[in-house]
Amino acid sequence: MAAEPLTVALAGNPNVGKSTIFNALTGSYQQVGNWPGKTVEKKEGWVSIDGQRVAIVDLPGTYSLAAYSVEEIIARDFILNERPGIVVAVVDAANLERNLYLVCQILELGLPVIVALNMSDTARSRGVEIDVQKLSQQLNGTAVIETVGNRGIGIDTLKAAITRAQTARRQPSVLDYGDVIEAEIDQLQARIEADPVLAHQYRARWLAVKLLETDDDLRAHLEQMGHQPLVKSADEAIARVTASLGDDPETLITDRRYQFIGQAVGAAVTRPSQMAETPSDRADRIITHRLWGVPIFLLLMWIVFQFTANVSAPFVDWVDGVVTGPIAQWAAALLGAVGVSDTWLESLLLDGVIAGVGGVLVFVPVLLFLYLGIGLLEDSGYMARAAFVMDRVMRVIGLHGKSFLPLLIGFGCTVPAVYATRTLENERDRRVTGFLATFMSCGARLPVYVVFGAAFFGAQAGNLIFGLYLLGIGVALVTGLVMKRALYRSAPPQPFVMELPPYRMPDARTVGRQMWERTRGFVQRAFTVILGCSVAIWLLLAVPRSLNPGEFNTVEPQDSLFGSISGALAPVFAPAGFGTWEATGSLVTGGIAKEVIISTMNQVYALDAEEDASASETPTTFVEDMGSVAQSFGQAVILTGQEIVNIVPRTVNIIPGINLPEADFLGAGEASEDTSALNTMLTRAFTPLAAVAFTVFILLYVPCMAATAAMRHEFGSRWMLYQLGYTAVIAWVAAVVVYQGGLLLGIGGA
Amino acid sequence: MTEPRTLDQLSPGQKATVKKVGGQGAVRRRLMDMGVVNGVEIELIKAAPLGDPLEFRLRGYHLSLRKNEAQQIEIN
Ligand SMILES: Nc1nc2c(ncn2[C@@H]2O[C@H](COP(=O)(O)OP(=O)(O)O)[C@@H](O)[C@H]2O)c(=O)[nH]1
Repeated sequence: MAAEPLTVALAGNPNVGKSTIFNALTGSYQQVGNWPGKTVEKKEGWVSIDGQRVAIVDLPGTYSLAAYSVEEIIARDFILNERPGIVVAVVDAANLERNLYLVCQILELGLPVIVALNMSDTARSRGVEIDVQKLSQQLNGTAVIETVGNRGIGIDTLKAAITRAQTARRQPSVLDYGDVIEAEIDQLQARIEADPVLAHQYRARWLAVKLLETDDDLRAHLEQMGHQPLVKSADEAIARVTASLGDDPETLITDRRYQFIGQAVGAAVTRPSQMAETPSDRADRIITHRLWGVPIFLLLMWIVFQFTANVSAPFVDWVDGVVTGPIAQWAAALLGAVGVSDTWLESLLLDGVIAGVGGVLVFVPVLLFLYLGIGLLEDSGYMARAAFVMDRVMRVIGLHGKSFLPLLIGFGCTVPAVYATRTLENERDRRVTGFLATFMSCGARLPVYVVFGAAFFGAQAGNLIFGLYLLGIGVALVTGLVMKRALYRSAPPQPFVMELPPYRMPDARTVGRQMWERTRGFVQRAFTVILGCSVAIWLLLAVPRSLNPGEFNTVEPQDSLFGSISGALAPVFAPAGFGTWEATGSLVTGGIAKEVIISTMNQVYALDAEEDASASETPTTFVEDMGSVAQSFGQAVILTGQEIVNIVPRTVNIIPGINLPEADFLGAGEASEDTSALNTMLTRAFTPLAAVAFTVFILLYVPCMAATAAMRHEFGSRWMLYQLGYTAVIAWVAAVVVYQGGLLLGIGGA
Repeated sequence: MTEPRTLDQLSPGQKATVKKVGGQGAVRRRLMDMGVVNGVEIELIKAAPLGDPLEFRLRGYHLSLRKNEAQQIEIN
């Protein structure tokens, strides 16, 4: 058996069951990442067919191979440059016409193609009968295999077809575009074939057709390679065709493809003469109803927000508890056993490494719940409706209807918000939305506002907090408008044109798989960044300013390198009214995680309560620990149930004048932390005006390292740096404006 | 001569045949890729709750277009 490596590319429209087929083919032998430098997911898997190792690459879901979206360019470049041995085109049998358009384009590329006629069960249940044999004939002998991806039907046949397609010699399929256009194609083709480099790189006929279609991406590419004459003769050909046929070749060529498809479908498909109204259509009449549409949208968004922000919270606490409790203790015990307790090594491992690991793991429950929510919205078909309903509003700031959800989730946590941008259709919207999401004040910033509000404004604290949230939204609005006007002004308008897929019962396996894969992606990517930052801060705190090795790891914060750096940075913040090393130091650690700001303040304002905390820990056995880990997990499950129940009162309570009590299963209503000592210190260290400036800075400045890692993962390093730079500048400017403006107006300065 | 009728002027439940896809660049390309080509029959289902975008049915599936996109499509 020949063991030559074979690459099979999976192509198809979005939502046709491509991932399902991919998974059915590859099982668990797969690897998920991003296409280099793109915000598009890349999946690669392996399968052994008859002893031959076959690599399967899942191309992004696209409707076309025109190069107008990132997805299209990726799919096309992969087919052109990597030359997969076979392309499997997955099509939705219930929606054949539009799906075959992509197939048509792939056929024109001249590679062996297999059509997987997926969703054949849905098609049949709607009374659509497809004659596979005839369809295959109509498509110039292309193999057509019926599949039902989610039930694994047809997968073996598909594998067999892959083996067969390698050996079958196939003549490239040709679509006849009519005398006038064909004559021009011939001429261009001859010119292309005369250039050995071009002829090697492209299939000449395909390139000729693309040039007549005015494919901007290819034209630019060709011009770059010095083929201006070719592009120019293509322009002349376009002019000739337009003059003689009264329409441009781009239109005529597309028309012809759809005509060809119409013939194929006409010959192979029998449909009931009268398409009955489907249950999906009936559901949609209510879900996007003129009156109910918006409330239903808001309700669903609110529920997903509750999922990520509150329902996940008990598990977040549980993970945090397990990492800082049993795991840290076991590690300490282990380190004691090898004789390094109370050394810097122990401190590095416990305060640097394990704290860093915990910093990653606490996001796992958040992301799992986020992906559960998003998975349900996407797989049910609602997500496209969300865009449909909200587009009118979001368009004002140059965003897409689907941008609403990531921004809302940003109020819970920026990390899932960044990942939620994946639901958006085009790269520009994803980037802009991710960029703006950091200005939605996340849950971790709230405690800082609360502490400062209580210390300086007492009963008025609510106004400060509310004002900060509004300011964040305002900054996002202005930033969005500026980006739209300045950055993307010359960019051509992006089409909204969007399919509204039929509603479907979400599939547990599909949703579960996405939760797992995407969360794992975050853990893998964020691990190094977060661990690195955590260890770096530990080092800064451990290394004494004097660089005296004797004081390593025993030095007080103000005498450590951390203290020096904070001190050196402090003058930068003097115009904003908080130029002290303590305030600066808390901002530095806040860059790791915003929730750390308060604990750092406790530390640097010398109010450390660490001693009595560690004293209360009594030695436990491994078995007891395991018991308590399991027990606390059980409690987290119960509390999660409580949070789910509480979504109802919280939702109802938004309506003024109604006050439903929330459930409290384990009496978990948190006892408020005792911060009175910190309050006193803060009122001494800050003027009220400086306190406002400080909270404004906290609101706007650099996202925490987990969010930064997520941004790098999703949008790339360059974009991440823009974000860091922009937020740092805007935060500083806003804080200075608040402080200096306040001084000028003579409020709260002294 | 009167202005040509465009797709955004349909009322819900009304069908028409596409005569010409106007506009340019990405928007036009995308419309045609989605099967909005000369001669195709297209039906307006409804408008979104806030009046825009619009939902159409063609070739057995549902497509949503903004009004200004629908305006570029001439119909019979
Ligand atoms: N009825 C039916 N559902 C399917 C079939 N194949 C996939 N699905 C479901 O269709 C949904 C979308 O599938 P997915 O693979 O995520 O689509 P993709 O966007 O093309 O990757 C999932 O809920 C699948 O379970 C099929 O042949 N028949």
